[in-house]
Amino acid sequence: MSFKDQIGFVRQHIRRNRLRVFMTVLAATMGTAFLIVLASVGFGLQKTIKDDILSNQMVTQIEVYSEDMTDAKTDAMKEIDHVEAVVYRKQLVPVVMGEVEGHTGSMNTHFTNFGDEQASGFKLAEGRFPENQGEAIVGSKFAEQLVDESVETAEDEEPAYFEGELIGKTVNLSFSESEDGAETVPLTIVGIKEEPGKDWAFDGYLYVDQSLIGEMETAYAATSADLPEEEDMPFTSSQVNVYADDLANVKAITQTLKDDGYSVYSVSEEIEQIDVFFLALKAGLIFVGTIAILIASIGIFNTMTMAVTERTREIGVMKALGAGPKLIQRLFLMESAWIGIVGTVIAVVISYGVSFAANAILPIVVDAALGGETGDSFEVTFSVIPWQLVLIASAISLSVAMISGWRPARKATKTDVIGALRHEL
Amino acid sequence: MIEVKELSHSFRVGKKGKETEVPVLKELSLKARDGEIVSIVGRSGSGKSTLLHILAGFLQPDTGRVLVDGTDLTAMNEAQRAAFRLERFGFVFQNFQLMPGLTAFENIELPLTLKGVPAAERKRKVEELLESTGLTEIRGHYPNELSGGQQQRVGIARALITEPPVIFADEPTGSLDSETEQDILNLILSLNRKYGITFVIITHDDEVAAIANRQYRMHDGELTEGGLRHVV
Ligand SMILES: Nc1ncnc2c1ncn2[C@@H]1O[C@H](COP(=O)(O)OP(=O)(O)OP(=O)(O)O)[C@@H](O)[C@H]1O
Ligand SMILES: [Mg+2]
Repeated sequence: MSFKDQIGFVRQHIRRNRLRVFMTVLAATMGTAFLIVLASVGFGLQKTIKDDILSNQMVTQIEVYSEDMTDAKTDAMKEIDHVEAVVYRKQLVPVVMGEVEGHTGSMNTHFTNFGDEQASGFKLAEGRFPENQGEAIVGSKFAEQLVDESVETAEDEEPAYFEGELIGKTVNLSFSESEDGAETVPLTIVGIKEEPGKDWAFDGYLYVDQSLIGEMETAYAATSADLPEEEDMPFTSSQVNVYADDLANVKAITQTLKDDGYSVYSVSEEIEQIDVFFLALKAGLIFVGTIAILIASIGIFNTMTMAVTERTREIGVMKALGAGPKLIQRLFLMESAWIGIVGTVIAVVISYGVSFAANAILPIVVDAALGGETGDSFEVTFSVIPWQLVLIASAISLSVAMISGWRPARKATKTDVIGALRHEL
Repeated sequence: MIEVKELSHSFRVGKKGKETEVPVLKELSLKARDGEIVSIVGRSGSGKSTLLHILAGFLQPDTGRVLVDGTDLTAMNEAQRAAFRLERFGFVFQNFQLMPGLTAFENIELPLTLKGVPAAERKRKVEELLESTGLTEIRGHYPNELSGGQQQRVGIARALITEPPVIFADEPTGSLDSETEQDILNLILSLNRKYGITFVIITHDDEVAAIANRQYRMHDGELTEGGLRHVV
């Protein structure tokens, strides 16, 4: 019997039992759609969290920690494959006060190499990079470091921050708050750093060239006599960031650095952990969804068993005319496969619809529930259906359909011709 | 040519553990030459249908052999017997056994479909046969829209469509009135003359048996050859 005729035969049977087959397909559809939609929430949350990490961080940045960092070591890091830049910043440890036109505040000072910073993507919002000794760059929120203490403000009021143009102004640094007698280092602000990507990041730093360390140390030595003795405290602490040329290479560079004995943190580590967590979550959701499909499979089993019982006489006639057991089995398996395929196709279409609707409606609902406070930044993907999920769900649904159709089909092949021909309809 | 040699069969009946053996066929032999009409007459329960079921390969006998042109049917497995049936045998049943979901046309077509004959060729053959058996008018009817006589004509056409060398018929006129019975017998006779098809017909009706060239009588599982009547 040709395949086309087999299909025709199966279709003829299905047409004769439209309602029953329809109900079974409906059950299979619901089971499969349930599985896909349920698992899609896992994929959706994973995407939301990953996107969040990737958009809020310098994803190609690898933070390196070491007790005794040296220029030689950072130079060696530059030689690692796919490393675009290595930025070696030294943060001033002793408290230093800064003053701009009567506004004062403690300065978070970083000594760095602006050439390396530029290579790593350090950009200015205004002004230029330092060209001469005694020039500095400030963070985007630098003004909020400077307060005019002489202005009285209430508890719940904002302090009197510095206002106006910063570029061209001079910052006077000193290690002692009492201005008289303290050695001051004047710096000219020539540029303002671009705002950081994260909304919550606060950049009130002062960036200066590393060559200034010497001058600062002298100033510190001159004033430290008045200050309490703090022997063990180093003058600077180091912070090294390695930048990969591409996110894909972060993992390999991280590994190389770890092998060299550094403590390392990069976004790839975090993403890996998230991936492991979500793999487990998705597996769990698919497992729960599979139970729904298994329940639907009881329907397929029933339908097929009834179909075989109902058609006992017809099976007998077919066998008497010369249909082999293999053909009989195939015809019934095709029928349960048809139920599985149609159920799966409809389920996939419905799932995409539900997923689309959930992503369109749920954020609005949640937003309204939270009183519209979340604003534009509230971007959550509730449900994502990647093709892999469609593939997994289809495979599960079709195998379950075939397995539940298997026994009825076997039963059909075992039909005794003589008994079947005697069978009254 | 069909040859049956020392065929015996018995059924086990009764509850499990307390079964008793009921011998139905007892060491019987039979022969049907090509182009003959062979009839087997006997009282109800004498084992006629059981014999036919073994001849057709629906049932495996306890002992004995069934040779069809020298091929031993009893040595085959189920799938091989099915393939052999499809190729060599046609069947006519007492209660017609048409497929309820198929039209007269599709019912006649079914054995060709099973054989994998292309659709165009199937259509041509079935139409030809509908014409020669006078069924063209009812080609689109479903079995429940046909009279008994019409259904049996469709049944015979279905047995005939693959042009098998042998057609088995179990009480082919058992459900029909005597006038329709005569129609069917005439059809069988004409097909036998025209195509040289061998018929093995089971009946309890002597009138039906009378059209046979070779007549067997079944009595309590034993077979005796009655008369041999040559084709006129
Ligand atoms: N499956 C079976 N199990 C047990 N006994 C059976 C079975 N089939 C037939 N028999 C017995 O075998 C005997 C012969 O039955 P069979 O159907 O061959 O008779 P028959 O000659 O065709 O009768 P009828 O003219 O009524 O059709 C009967 O006594 C019947 O009870
Ligand atoms: Mg009988």
